[in-house]
Amino acid sequence: MFDAALFYLRPHVIITDPMNIYVCVKHVPDSAATIRIVEPNQIDENITFLLNPYDENAVEAAVQLKADSDDTDVIAVTVGKPAAIDTLKSALAMGADRGIHVVTGYWPDSIVTARALQAAIIKDGLPDLILTGKAAIDSDGYQTQFRLAAALDIPVATHVGSIARNDNSVTVTCGLEAGGEQVIRMRMPCVIGTAKTLNTPRYPTLPDIIKARKKEIREVSIDHLAIEPPDSRMEIIALKSAVQKRRKQMIAGSIEESVTELIRRLKGEARIPLS
Amino acid sequence: MNKKYDAIIIGAGVIGCPISYELAKNGYKTLTVDKLADAGMGSTAASCAIVRAHYSTVDGVAMAYEGFKYWLDWENYLGNVKDEKGLARFMNTGSILLKSQGHDWRKVKSNYDVVGVDYEEWSVERIKEAVPVYDLHEFWPVRRPEDPKFFDPPTRMLEGAIFCPEGGYMSDPALSAHNIMRAAEAHGSEFLFNVEVVAVRDDGNRVTGITLKDGTQFDAPVVVNVAGPHSYKINQMAKGVWDGCNIKTKALRHEVMHVPSPEGYNYLEDGYHTSDGDVGCYYRPEVGNMFLIGSEDPKCDPQEWVDPDEFYAGKGGQGRDNQLTEAQYKAQSYRCARRVPDMQIPNQPRGVVDLYDCSDDWIPIYDKTDLPGFYLAIGSSGNQYKNAPVAGVLMAELIDKCEKGLDHDKEPLQFKLRHIGRTIDAGFFSRKREINYNSSFSVNG
Repeated sequence: MFDAALFYLRPHVIITDPMNIYVCVKHVPDSAATIRIVEPNQIDENITFLLNPYDENAVEAAVQLKADSDDTDVIAVTVGKPAAIDTLKSALAMGADRGIHVVTGYWPDSIVTARALQAAIIKDGLPDLILTGKAAIDSDGYQTQFRLAAALDIPVATHVGSIARNDNSVTVTCGLEAGGEQVIRMRMPCVIGTAKTLNTPRYPTLPDIIKARKKEIREVSIDHLAIEPPDSRMEIIALKSAVQKRRKQMIAGSIEESVTELIRRLKGEARIPLS
Repeated sequence: MNKKYDAIIIGAGVIGCPISYELAKNGYKTLTVDKLADAGMGSTAASCAIVRAHYSTVDGVAMAYEGFKYWLDWENYLGNVKDEKGLARFMNTGSILLKSQGHDWRKVKSNYDVVGVDYEEWSVERIKEAVPVYDLHEFWPVRRPEDPKFFDPPTRMLEGAIFCPEGGYMSDPALSAHNIMRAAEAHGSEFLFNVEVVAVRDDGNRVTGITLKDGTQFDAPVVVNVAGPHSYKINQMAKGVWDGCNIKTKALRHEVMHVPSPEGYNYLEDGYHTSDGDVGCYYRPEVGNMFLIGSEDPKCDPQEWVDPDEFYAGKGGQGRDNQLTEAQYKAQSYRCARRVPDMQIPNQPRGVVDLYDCSDDWIPIYDKTDLPGFYLAIGSSGNQYKNAPVAGVLMAELIDKCEKGLDHDKEPLQFKLRHIGRTIDAGFFSRKREINYNSSFSVNG
């Protein structure tokens, strides 16, 4: 099944009409939630879940690209439990045109997620661009975008801070460690992992949310995608809560001396950029 | 030998502090104790600190309007005391009460006329001129987004509003309590923090003092329960008090959201506090150009009664304590967004969760008890912040008169509101009253 699909995908280097931008989004726990581990490898999911904040940058980028092009379809895709449909609704309220929900009964690892995304996208249409956040705030794995690109045999760039679209390619700026940047040109289709610096995601208004209620969300069971089972997969055996170790430091002296010393320590040990 | 005081106040919130202040001004040597680390750090800190006059009863309006005079003259009220944290500020935005089926605004208007509240009647056009971002269609009845009818397009317009120019909110509720504490200290009041009351002692005839968790005892012929959401637990420690109250209190969980203003609209500088019964919300400006949105407790909103100790200890269950719930975030922000359609609604909820000390009829209890010397300033029900300075004066007078022989149950104190000159029957706030069905049974009081 995949080989046949890729046969059609690979020659696809000329922009189709309309242009299809797929945005891969993940349903994740709110970063403000108190995460409680209830089983060795599970959390209590009775908390707020939302659209992965890094993926908001990807949705925003897609919607901005759509604004620059008259005939562009932005399709949000997610893989997850039934509740993940709420994340698709958030993406639709931000401006995506329609959604695809690959429904699972569990939270799959990045191998299965990438294969499910690949299958769902190919089943839906021919991608010109696939956008996603640089990572998900829950697993923080930085894997799915690369696995998806590899599965589709197309290029990928991550930590992208700017996107310039040409006729059948994109030029992107990728952030590197130590503040460096790399400018990359990729032929489309390609996968882009967006950085927080790329844009400021819009907040939807209630009219946007109402409009989104009428947009199509196609649900497909992961079992019906018949994805190839991986030879091996990751299994989370245990989760452990982060423990913040606090260290008390006493600063002696007059108020002036104490403040001076405090500022010195904040600038030095804590690396807080005080002016 | 136990340390002795003339009066012990349990709770250093925004009502406990003014009681200490007024008693101290009357010559009482007071001790105020609190479980937390500083004044105003309990449910006061999460108060929306709204100062409005519209209440469902004449006495409610009168007391609130009296309160305006304190907030508007804050420094003088505090005796120009210095507070190292600075002074809270009254943000005099004015207060809009939208005329809707969600408020008995005709009764409010009538109450305003009786009390002499300064107000204007605004047409829809006048509201629009003042707040161009409001959509003034009628959205009644109040619904939640889970209800498909929530999204039905409106067909009618609202009638207008009653605008009270003296209304607004205090910039920092915790700081306001701290300010009053400093003012009380200037008159000799003492405050003790990080201590928990475990017993209210008596000698068989009257209250004699309190015992703390570490065993420390303080003696006083007067003890005042101002323990906020813990009020019912303190009442249960005092002999005969719980059973002697016809009106009870309990702790109600409540959420308030912070949602960004429409782009290009400076709500923080140009906005008004608004009571909007048509969508079951009230809202006011918040730092960061946000709308602070609270629920006016419409029938469609579930009520969640909790144990305050479990709530504050984080034992109320996942996502139930200090975290907004997604459902209520959407309910309140979407409802407010019907009025402000360009409001921006982030995917990630932001706001605060805390507890009301709620009475059976949402009207407070300012009263003596069946245990002589033990007094109550409880059941604030989310609507008494604005009355705090007045409650301080009322309680100080009530305590003084009762200690000098007044039988308040038989001949209720007639309390003169010193600024507006009106006298109210303090029996209105009696613990022995029957449930007052004139109440809104909501945060509106």
